[in-house]
Parts: sequence; C-alpha cells; structure tokens
Amino acid sequence: MATRSTSMISPNLTPLLDVVLQLITFFMMLVHFGSRLEGADRAVRLPVAPAALPGSDLTFDRLPVSLDQRGELRHGGRVLSGAAASAWWAEQAKIRRAGLELLPGPSLGDELPTVVILRADRDASYGTVRRTLADAQEQGFAQFSLVVLRREQP
Amino acid sequence: MSFGMGMPASTAATLGTMADSAAAAVAPRSRRYRPGPPDEVFFPVTPMLDMAFQLLAFFILTFKAPSAETHIDLHLPATPAALPSGPRGRARPSPSRAIDADLENDLLVRAEADDLGDLKALRLGGAILPDLPALGSRLRRYTQLLGNRPLRVRLVADDRLRYEPAARIIATCSAAGVSSVRLAQPGAIPALRGLLPGPGAGGGAR
Repeated sequence: MATRSTSMISPNLTPLLDVVLQLITFFMMLVHFGSRLEGADRAVRLPVAPAALPGSDLTFDRLPVSLDQRGELRHGGRVLSGAAASAWWAEQAKIRRAGLELLPGPSLGDELPTVVILRADRDASYGTVRRTLADAQEQGFAQFSLVVLRREQP
Repeated sequence: MSFGMGMPASTAATLGTMADSAAAAVAPRSRRYRPGPPDEVFFPVTPMLDMAFQLLAFFILTFKAPSAETHIDLHLPATPAALPSGPRGRARPSPSRAIDADLENDLLVRAEADDLGDLKALRLGGAILPDLPALGSRLRRYTQLLGNRPLRVRLVADDRLRYEPAARIIATCSAAGVSSVRLAQPGAIPALRGLLPGPGAGGGAR
C-alpha cells in the first residue's frame, strides 16, 4: 500500500515578490512624469514644438482656456468669439480682483497673478492667438503659459 | 526581564542548564554531541505579497500614460490703458512696464507667412535665417555674449501665420535662453514698417 506524503507544498513566492516590487517601483517613478495640464479639449490639436523644454510647475491660480481652429475661445463647455470673448475676459478679471481684495496682506499690484494656460489649435492663425492674448492683457492678465507638445502623440 | 510564558530569566537559565545536564547523561560518553541541522525558517511572504499586489493595483489604476505636453511661459505685461486702477486713483508703477520701455532695443524676430500660413521667411534683425535651428544657435550665442544680462526678443509675425510655426519660434527662443519673448503687432514697430508687407498682404494689425 502506497503511503501518501504529508509534506506541505509551499511555492517559492520570493521571485514573484521581486517582480511585483519592481513593478511598483516602475509605476511610482512614472507617477510624476508627463502630467497632463488641465483644460484638454478634443477640438484642439496642440502644436508640436520639439525645441520646447519641460515646463516647470504652475502656480495654484490658473485659468485654462482653449482656442480652436476657427479662433473661438473655449472654456468650460462654452464657445466664445469676438465681443463675447472680450466680455468673458473682463468678467474673469473682475472675479479675480474681487477675490484678491478679500485676501489679507499687501496688494500684488495691478497685474493679476493668475496664469492663463492657453491651449491653441495648431492650425489656428497666429493673429487670433495674439489677439486673444492681447484681450487678456487688456484686462490685467500678464502671466501666460502656452501648451505645446514636444513630440507627436498617436 | 522575562521570557515567554511569564518565566523569569533566572528560572529559564536554570532549566536550560538542567536540560543540558540530562542530555549529557543520556548520551553515550563516546559520542560527541552534534547539533542537528537547524529547522528551516519560513519567512511569511504571503501578507507582504498581498500588500504588494494592493499597491500594484493602485498604481496601475491611477496610471496615466506619459504625456508629451509641456508649456512655454510668457510674461506679457498688462496693457496700461486698460488697467482698472487709473480711474480709481490707485495707479502704481509696474516694473514690467518700466522694462517695456527698453524693448525698443531688443532683438526682433520677424516671421513671414506664405499663402497657406506656413513659415516662408525668418529674420533675426535684418539677417535672413534658413531655419529654426539657425535662429536657436544665434540666440544662444547672443545669450553667452550677454552673460548675466537678460536677452529679450520681440516676435513680429504675420497674423495669417499658422500657430504651430509661431509656437516653434517661441519655443526655440525660450530654449535658447531668451528671458522674455513679447508678441508685437506687425505695425507697432517703426523701424520695421518699411520691411513689413501692407495690411492686405500680412493681415491687419490689431
């Protein structure tokens, strides 16, 4: 009569643990890389500028806007053009000035500290981009960040 | 100090000595005591593996593919005429506006567009440049020559130029160490008026 072996079979989990820890390290390292800026819009294809350097961290006070191929301003699902866009910039500046007056501490001056993050379509004309920035400048916005791609994305 | 089961240390030491004596009495005197192979020590890997899988699942679920997006920072001073503090008597001199007066002496980068909006010609001052790398290398040379002094550039481009080549020019300037890039209206610089095409050809200035 054959005897049954009673020894416990224990698989060697150490290599599996090694692989899992490697994977965890990989994902942890990639967590901070290539963070996508807010305000992405499917209607906007960003320009590719290989010479652009990796951007620095942006401040807390940000205003993301998009500019589509036709030169229309997009923000939060709204599409604005012409006088409506200018009025929107004025409204945003007014809201931010009202907020700044409530903050304690010294005044920051006439220029707003808000960083305008502009996602403009690659096929939009430079003139519409420049006029959009000029509209914002007229309302006191001075810090701008142009979002570009460093390489073509699939 | 006590060991397991609440046994004092002195008692444990005594019991240990007694056990050694008993073992020596039972074993034949001709044989030397040889300790057997130690029991295999199992490290409990399973809880650690559970934890590792939890972490792995978290990172996989929150993982976002690396994006090629970056941003080019521009400081464009607010237009003085529209600042709200003037009428209310709170006007303060802004440093950026004080710097802006010096921009008449800054480098001018001129970009001309063809009928399709692509870049047709690129000039740095009066010199025609073949491509963007040439612009970058020249600007880098100027940056080295200036040392710690800031290099500022004004971009004067046709309004019909597509945004992509304009963004590439701005990115090239920024990567070459230019401290400030301003976007000028095509007709706003007197020195260039003779060089620029008319409003019908180059797009009207704002």
